[in-house]
Amino acid sequence: MRLNDLKLRARALLRPNRVEQELDEELAFHIAREARKVLDEGTTPAQARQRAQARFGSTALAADRCRDVRGTAVIDNTMRDVQYAFRTFAKAPLAAFTIVVTVAIGLGLVAALFTVLNTLIFRVDQVPNIGEMYAIERTPLVNGDGALLTRPMFAAMRADTHVFTDAYATVPELHLQVDGRRMAVTLVTGNFFQVVRVNPVMGRALMPPDDAPSGGSAVIVLSHKGWDRRFSRDPNVLGRTVLVNGAPFQIIGVTAAGFRGLEVGGPDAWAPLSQLGQFRPADRGREDAVGVEIVGRLRPGVSKNNARAQLAVWDSNQSADTRDRRATNIDLLPRRGTIPQPLEAIAMFGPLFVAFGLILMIGCANVANLLLARGVARQREIGIRLSLGASRQRILRQLMTESALLALAAAAGGYLISRLALQGAVYWAMRTIPVDLGDVNLNVPAADWRVAVFLVVAAVAATGFFALMPALHATAIEPLRTLRGEVVKNARPGRARNALIGVQVFASALLLICAAIFLRSAIAAARLDPGLRTADTVLIDINSEPKRAAMIQAVTNDPTITAYGAVRPQLLARLRAAFADTGAGKTPVTFKSVSGSYFDVLDIPIVRGRAFMPWERDRHPVAIVSESVARALWPDGRGVGETFRLEPDSGVQRFSGFLRINPDAPADDGLVPARMVTVVGVARDVPGLRITDVKEAGVFLPTGLDVAKTSIVARVQGDPNLARQALLDRLTKVDPNMGTIITMRTVARLETFFLEIAFWVSLMLGGLALLLTVSGLFSVLSYLVEQRTREIGVRMALGASAHAVTQLMLAQTTRPVIAGLIAGAGLAAALATVVLATPAGALISQIVHVTDPVAYLASLGVIVAACLLAAWIPAARAAKVDPMRTLRQE
Amino acid sequence: MSTVYTMTRTSDLLPGTLDLLILRTLQKDALHGWAISERIQQISQDLLQINQGSLYPALHRLEHQGWIVADWKISELGRRAKYYHLTASGRRQLAVEAREWARMANAIGRVMKLA
Repeated sequence: MRLNDLKLRARALLRPNRVEQELDEELAFHIAREARKVLDEGTTPAQARQRAQARFGSTALAADRCRDVRGTAVIDNTMRDVQYAFRTFAKAPLAAFTIVVTVAIGLGLVAALFTVLNTLIFRVDQVPNIGEMYAIERTPLVNGDGALLTRPMFAAMRADTHVFTDAYATVPELHLQVDGRRMAVTLVTGNFFQVVRVNPVMGRALMPPDDAPSGGSAVIVLSHKGWDRRFSRDPNVLGRTVLVNGAPFQIIGVTAAGFRGLEVGGPDAWAPLSQLGQFRPADRGREDAVGVEIVGRLRPGVSKNNARAQLAVWDSNQSADTRDRRATNIDLLPRRGTIPQPLEAIAMFGPLFVAFGLILMIGCANVANLLLARGVARQREIGIRLSLGASRQRILRQLMTESALLALAAAAGGYLISRLALQGAVYWAMRTIPVDLGDVNLNVPAADWRVAVFLVVAAVAATGFFALMPALHATAIEPLRTLRGEVVKNARPGRARNALIGVQVFASALLLICAAIFLRSAIAAARLDPGLRTADTVLIDINSEPKRAAMIQAVTNDPTITAYGAVRPQLLARLRAAFADTGAGKTPVTFKSVSGSYFDVLDIPIVRGRAFMPWERDRHPVAIVSESVARALWPDGRGVGETFRLEPDSGVQRFSGFLRINPDAPADDGLVPARMVTVVGVARDVPGLRITDVKEAGVFLPTGLDVAKTSIVARVQGDPNLARQALLDRLTKVDPNMGTIITMRTVARLETFFLEIAFWVSLMLGGLALLLTVSGLFSVLSYLVEQRTREIGVRMALGASAHAVTQLMLAQTTRPVIAGLIAGAGLAAALATVVLATPAGALISQIVHVTDPVAYLASLGVIVAACLLAAWIPAARAAKVDPMRTLRQE
Repeated sequence: MSTVYTMTRTSDLLPGTLDLLILRTLQKDALHGWAISERIQQISQDLLQINQGSLYPALHRLEHQGWIVADWKISELGRRAKYYHLTASGRRQLAVEAREWARMANAIGRVMKLA
């Protein structure tokens, strides 16, 4: 029965002409048959037709009631609404265009952001049942830093526990020179491809025998990215060999596009974990002590909590029979090939969404204002429709249809704008990222169905919400009076309009204050002296000890290098911690080992005493301390000639900056025995760099370049980037896997880099916000002046001066603008207070001056000036109203 | 369904009876709209006049409910007309409605006699 009903309805929908024609024919037949009957009773054919028609009544009414039965009225009405809407757009194309473009801009920006977030959080690549994939995280309870999981522990875990159907261990994303080209290689156990259940599209996957602990095979599997970037999609790439640190590796497979192997970025290739020593010579011979990441596929039916409990039990048994007796906490983290902690990503993206969303909101407020104005202009039209018997609901639906159509157009426009914005952002980022930060390759994130849904929902919500209010306003009118051309007082939507202006000013104020704060902070950061020479210094790591002598010789003979020194740990690595015992008590200090020339190269003055002598090495009981350590250890603060006992702590100082450069540099785990040292010199305090957390140590011990694990700091001639490239070329010939060279200029540049990005982004958003606000203000006020021409004419006829009229019109905008400014500045200040109260507040406030009064005042001044300018033009026009003309119109 | 008389349309007849009359008229033959109204009028000896404006909406409604089906056939006038006939479910519906009608008529009759 229902099916039959649906069938008939569908037919009426799909073939409306046919169904209508049949209805006409059916009714016409009835009248013809009736006429025949009347004719048989003896009349003329004309009379018969007439009488038959009279007996039937209105054919149109009967037909209409038949149509009601079909139940397609909703669709018919919608079609009519759509047609009507298009006619309205055609009548005022500029208004429709403005609405679509304004909403599309805001929507495009938000959608661009959403596309990025979508890629980071939701994207799942080719791995079946990715929800089962979990990484094991092991943290000691004491200081919260990650504790090592090693390959032997992985093997034990696999053998002893049954929480995973299978698990693999990995050392992710080693950056190294392969055949002279930089590649990111992820080392994995042989079962990696079986665990993720992905097969290469070309060749074969890594197999467990490839990863046999002794031997194994020297093979790699390329990712699609690596195949594309490094081998130009060569179809004959299988079987080719590449040189990794002089050893040939054979390419055995290429994976499908999109498979990233559960990493955010994804490597260029995967290689067996047993080849670790070949990829990172520093770890050769100590492979079993190297930290690995363990990722497994949770056994179906095992809950996450259950698995965690089993692993915790296993872990406590483990640490009982090893040296490591620190209590640890084992956790399982979902591993989806995206940012491991979605909450972090959301926390990071939240403020951005708010900022971008403000633009959308301002745009929508503009649209609402425009629709309010048009709603009044359309009162006559709506009045006529109401008096012709249209219900309020029917007119509301008509107006909502209009806004839905605009929303769809805006969603399409927003999509285009989001693609353009992303392309532009990626292009810009690729141009500004310093080359020595690593081989960054950003791709424009792809939009998928989630982005499409987001766009449509946001567009419908935005236009729906902002169109509903004007629609309600527009229909709240009395037909009779509007027909006479009177604007009904209640329908004058002054209050809503003021609220919208206030909201716009508020959002602009918030964004521009942010821009001003970032700009001022960037300028302040650029003026800070790090206390280190950064203009022409470079950092060179020595990766493989056997090549050390050759590397040092190459560096010392290099014509571009004018001075060099040794340092351990490397300048960007975390400092080692120790206690300085002067007999009067222990003081925590940080220490590093440097050569005597180190202070010269980096321009750190020795304020008292002397630097290390070239022959002094680790065994010499001498030290140099910083001024502040000297003050802390000895009351007179002189230092030179004093002795103290240095007791190294096993931990390292925690990273407290924002960006770690070169995180895959080998960890420096060498311990220095506790010893007595004599202070031979005092070095000036170094403020250091905050973003990258480059700090100078408090205590320096002597060392030299010939000592293992030291790195080189050097001064170069000429442009540091050119010198870096030249050095890289020359040194790669000495050690093909030499790691990277970082210029200190780049590291120093990072101090202001992020502030500058934040400044440009917030300036762009703030500028856009102000532009939209000002244009909205201008059009609203122009419209108001037009509306009130009659009133102004009367006022002027009664003796109001042009000045008074201008003031009257300006007063219209003063209140909402001031309210918006106060709210914007207030919220900015409140946010600043909240930020300062967070744990990271202290660090943030060092870098970003969140309560800078100059920034507040400057941005508020800009907004007031812009609003005055926008209001002045229509207000001045109001003063030019000719009272005689308006009175005559009356 | 059994005791509640769902009255969907108002006509000069008792509400709901139009559907019953149409279904009953179509019990034997397939008829077009005019013939249905003519048949009802004749049999009721002109007592029941079908409001033509209600007949066609009623026919279309019954068609939507699947109780009757329409076919285009050549009529006595020599032109195409839409002939309706009962479906199996229409026959069941007719039985239900006829029984209900009888019960109601019986009830009203008793009240008229005894009250």
